[in-house]
Amino acid sequence: MLAPNTRVFVACSVILGGVVLFANSDGRLPGDHTGYAPDQPIAYSHRVHAGELGIDCEYCHYGAETSPVAGIPPASVCMNCHNTVTTSGDATLAEKIRADAAGEAPRRLFSPQIRRLYDALGLDDDGKKKPGVEPTPIRWVRVHDLPDYVYFDHRPHVARMECQVCHGPVEAMERVRQVNSMSMGWCVDCHRLNAPDGAGVVMPGEGHPRLHHHVNTDCSVCHY
Amino acid sequence: MTYLPENADFETDPDILLPVEGLAASRRSFLRLAGFGVAAGVLAGCSRAPERRVVTYLEAPDGIVAGRGYRMATTCAGCTASCGVLARCRDGRPIKLEGLPEHPISGGGLCAVGQAEILSLYDGERFDGPRHGGREASWKDADSAISFALSKARKVRLLTETVTSPSTRAVIAGFCDGLADARHTSYDPLSAAAILDAHEATHGRRLLPHYEFHEADVIASFDADFLGTWISPVEYARGYGMGRRPDDRKSMSRHWQFEARMSLTGGRADERLRLAPWEITPALMGLCDMLASKAGRSTPVTGQRTGAPRIDDLRRLADELWEARGRALVVCGSNDTATQTLVNLANHLLGSYGSTIDIARPSLQKRGSDRALAALKRELDAGEVDVLIVAGVNPVYDRGFAGGVGESIAKAKLIVSITGLKNETSSVAHWTCPEPHALETWDDAEPRAGLLSLRQPTVPPLRSARTLRASLSKWSGGGANDRALVEAHWKQNVHPRAGDGVPFRRFFREALHDGFKAASPPPSGAAPFRMEGVQVPETAAAPAAGSMVVVLYPKVSMLDGRHAHNPWLQELADPVSRLAWESYAVLSPTVAGKLGVEKGDVVRLDPEGDAPALELPVHVQPGQHDDVVAVALGYGRDGTDRFADIGPDWWEGEATVAVGGRVGENAAPWLKTVGELTRTDTTVVKISATSVHRELASFQDYHSLEVPKHLAPHHGEVRDAVRTVELEAFRRDPNHAMYGGHHHPTGDLWPDDHVPEGNRWGMVVDLTACTGCSGCVVACQAENNIPVVGRDEVRRHREMSWMRIDRYDLGDGDDVQVSHQPMMCQHCDNAPCESVCPVLATMQSSDGLNQQVYNRCVGTRYCANTCPYKVRRFNWFEYQRHDQLQNLVLNPDVTTRSRGVMEKCSMCVQRIQEARIDARRRGVEVKDGDIKLACQDSCPTQAITFGDLNDPESEVSKKARSARAYRVLEETHVEPAVRYLAQVRNRS
Repeated sequence: MLAPNTRVFVACSVILGGVVLFANSDGRLPGDHTGYAPDQPIAYSHRVHAGELGIDCEYCHYGAETSPVAGIPPASVCMNCHNTVTTSGDATLAEKIRADAAGEAPRRLFSPQIRRLYDALGLDDDGKKKPGVEPTPIRWVRVHDLPDYVYFDHRPHVARMECQVCHGPVEAMERVRQVNSMSMGWCVDCHRLNAPDGAGVVMPGEGHPRLHHHVNTDCSVCHY
Repeated sequence: MTYLPENADFETDPDILLPVEGLAASRRSFLRLAGFGVAAGVLAGCSRAPERRVVTYLEAPDGIVAGRGYRMATTCAGCTASCGVLARCRDGRPIKLEGLPEHPISGGGLCAVGQAEILSLYDGERFDGPRHGGREASWKDADSAISFALSKARKVRLLTETVTSPSTRAVIAGFCDGLADARHTSYDPLSAAAILDAHEATHGRRLLPHYEFHEADVIASFDADFLGTWISPVEYARGYGMGRRPDDRKSMSRHWQFEARMSLTGGRADERLRLAPWEITPALMGLCDMLASKAGRSTPVTGQRTGAPRIDDLRRLADELWEARGRALVVCGSNDTATQTLVNLANHLLGSYGSTIDIARPSLQKRGSDRALAALKRELDAGEVDVLIVAGVNPVYDRGFAGGVGESIAKAKLIVSITGLKNETSSVAHWTCPEPHALETWDDAEPRAGLLSLRQPTVPPLRSARTLRASLSKWSGGGANDRALVEAHWKQNVHPRAGDGVPFRRFFREALHDGFKAASPPPSGAAPFRMEGVQVPETAAAPAAGSMVVVLYPKVSMLDGRHAHNPWLQELADPVSRLAWESYAVLSPTVAGKLGVEKGDVVRLDPEGDAPALELPVHVQPGQHDDVVAVALGYGRDGTDRFADIGPDWWEGEATVAVGGRVGENAAPWLKTVGELTRTDTTVVKISATSVHRELASFQDYHSLEVPKHLAPHHGEVRDAVRTVELEAFRRDPNHAMYGGHHHPTGDLWPDDHVPEGNRWGMVVDLTACTGCSGCVVACQAENNIPVVGRDEVRRHREMSWMRIDRYDLGDGDDVQVSHQPMMCQHCDNAPCESVCPVLATMQSSDGLNQQVYNRCVGTRYCANTCPYKVRRFNWFEYQRHDQLQNLVLNPDVTTRSRGVMEKCSMCVQRIQEARIDARRRGVEVKDGDIKLACQDSCPTQAITFGDLNDPESEVSKKARSARAYRVLEETHVEPAVRYLAQVRNRS
């Protein structure tokens, strides 16, 4: 049994801790990482690629349809475009105007971020392998992460829903941010609504009222 | 919850999580830390858990999508049987092996050894690069030193086990031709040489016949454990199972077994008779005599029936065999050539050649010659051998007996050992050139004439290693690229025989996809049976009073000891003795009674001659011959002290094996050479009790479903976990097996409100088909990330296997029948475990599964106590994987459980989900047969069926409606989803 002083101390800390916890974290519970938006080794902009350029999510995250994980694309996927595109359109245009005026061939300009991609692949400015340079894989920081005892599978979800339902308006994000809590309650809410006897829900975008197709809330749907 | 190696190469693995450091705290420091818990909670609320990195490919390999599973067809190398396997891979590495359903040898089954092969791939102790003496060396140095020695050598000898690979055989031939005096000798540690020699005598060609067990109506086996370990057990079990389908009125074979020890096969037999090893030969002489007189033929053994033991039984057998001639089969496990010629004679008289025995397309799974080995020993003893290359075998260990080649190996001037792992032979070798694992290399195999099986790498090489073929090719001045060597051989020799005009590239691609190709076999050259070839064997006398004969036998898990480094196999309960981590002396109850010893008491076995005495704990086995003590081979391997710290480390824990010690004792020095053939059943020992007792790691004597005698109701035990019925009775009344079942007319404790409406998963286990081979147990272990707990924890009944094979003995003395019952979570509809769980960690799913939710479980263990089937397993410890590299074998689809949670069979729910998701993606419904559980997949006899019980047309529903179907402990009203089909025996 704890001494009375200790008991008071523990009680106070619990109350104080609770207050601080909710004040400091917008009411989030431990383990809820809503708003997490870490710096990435390359400041890749989803706003530019998915928003302005309108590249389909699954062009890069091509695993989503056929694999449990959507996957972060290999650098070779980036190089499908970036072997020619090495800096912004404005900068390329400015260089062309400058070169034309000076009567010389335009130089190849590199944005610092794309330079990092080339460095990772061990490529020189012309896209050739630099001799003696070992390519180093890019170590991206994981934003959306579930505990290891949860098995989430992208395949059935992307078959019927927009990616934004869970990941939020990624096409508007400069740096990817987690917008949903990804907690069990949050998953189960949707599973309940879309279960055969659920109310159904209209998804943003296309809208899929009542997705029920083996949607249920059995533990073993996610935990095994 | 993940165990990931710190030093493994995850750079190429895009989606794997990096390990999170655990908090190691003692109880006291835990309390201290608890004071800071609140502060920690605050921090956790506003900050993020440890940063996790995702390391992507720079360039993704073709066809590999992160996290997506794929399969590759290849060939098992666990023994020389060469079953076809499918390697299930993920992110560029294999995680599970499964039988290849189309493969003509295995037909989709895979034994325990095959299932465990995957773990050997990730063995962290495999050699990395060649070694000279004990030191690391470079391939360049090794090649130049060995090539130089070869160029100077007069006599070069290559010693291997049976080489099943035709491309390797071709390279060996080229290597031998290129040197002045080079010869290739092969032997099989579990020798079948006498069968081949006998066919040379009677059919003019040294070959191993192909036994067609599925064609046989009467099978007589003399000490051949063909369902367990003999030559090609998966293939034989499959054929045997095909002949034993009681629901089909026509086919149920009769199986006679004559043997001294209780083998897996003997336990299944319809008629099992104890026969000492020295009685096998006279029994066969008697049988041949009887058959010959029925056939009206004169044979060299005419009139020999007088000396035969069990003459009445033999007479009955002869009648049955004769009745079924053309559909009868006699097999014998003895390694005595003359005895085997008698077997050939019996089969010839019965017309088995051409029906149940095929010598036109012989088996090539064992080709070793003990006589060639004896010749090699003579050369070694004379000091004539300059270079000895030993590949794939370990003669210092398994032929290390007086008169064996093992003791002469060191007399070669230069010894080159080709082995993946350190073994007794590589320890005396000058050079060790490591061999890659079969799952990381190109290779091929021809297990039967005209059946060509391919191996392909399923993972980039984990170690710097080279196959025997590549090394020999290099030393004969050729290239060392295995793919090129295999392809070249196939282009030259296989494509012309099997190509059918398909261009080679396509042909080879097809072969890679399918895993095998059928080709027209070259003529076997076997001549018709020659009576002159039959030799009249000398009959041995019974041992003198006070002595016993030792039968040295291979176990399902250990075989000849080659898999001693595999912890899954070490911890696999032997299906007969139900012991693991141990070698022991098997005695009959009578002998044990006479000696005054019980299970676990240590006895001293002192053999005649110079062989060392051994002290072994006793296992008492009903059905064992009273003059015979049986000891398993394959134990006492050097280096098995690596398991010293396997299992949890706690204050009461005992090491599985002492540092510098060995798992079990090596009985190979007791082998004998008789007439140049290695014999396992001729050594005579004196046995004496000691005062030592050793508690054995047994899986059998607890978790019993039977009521203990002192608690049983006054009318005795009434519940039969295993039900058996004799064919006669079953034919008369199919419901016969069900009588005597115990049905209380009690009400139901549980309301009838949870009947699954959609799918209702269920399983049926056919006890007639199940042979107890334990392939499913290891398959489950591989699929579900079940840890190895070590000898001490098994002793404390804390093993973790989700599936166990219970053994039930019926009868005693001579007539013992063994039934095996696979037991796993029964997924009860009215599950008692669900009622007692205070935190709802175990509950019913909407499709009839009993779910276990690890993240909810708080470890009260109430559920395990209340489970009537005793199938729940508690994680008493954080079972760290012993070998960090072996964590790569973990199935990413299944949580690795941490300390303090309960676990049990989930009916491979990850496979159910996968099949559902896949069906949904393709826009179809899940069909019957789409979902195969790990245990079901590995079963050679298809004893396990899984499916939807709500679908009346599903296979599982049909079987569940069978007259043989029953549920274990039905009277408890727990309504299990698993049904068993009663075992039918064809006894007279």
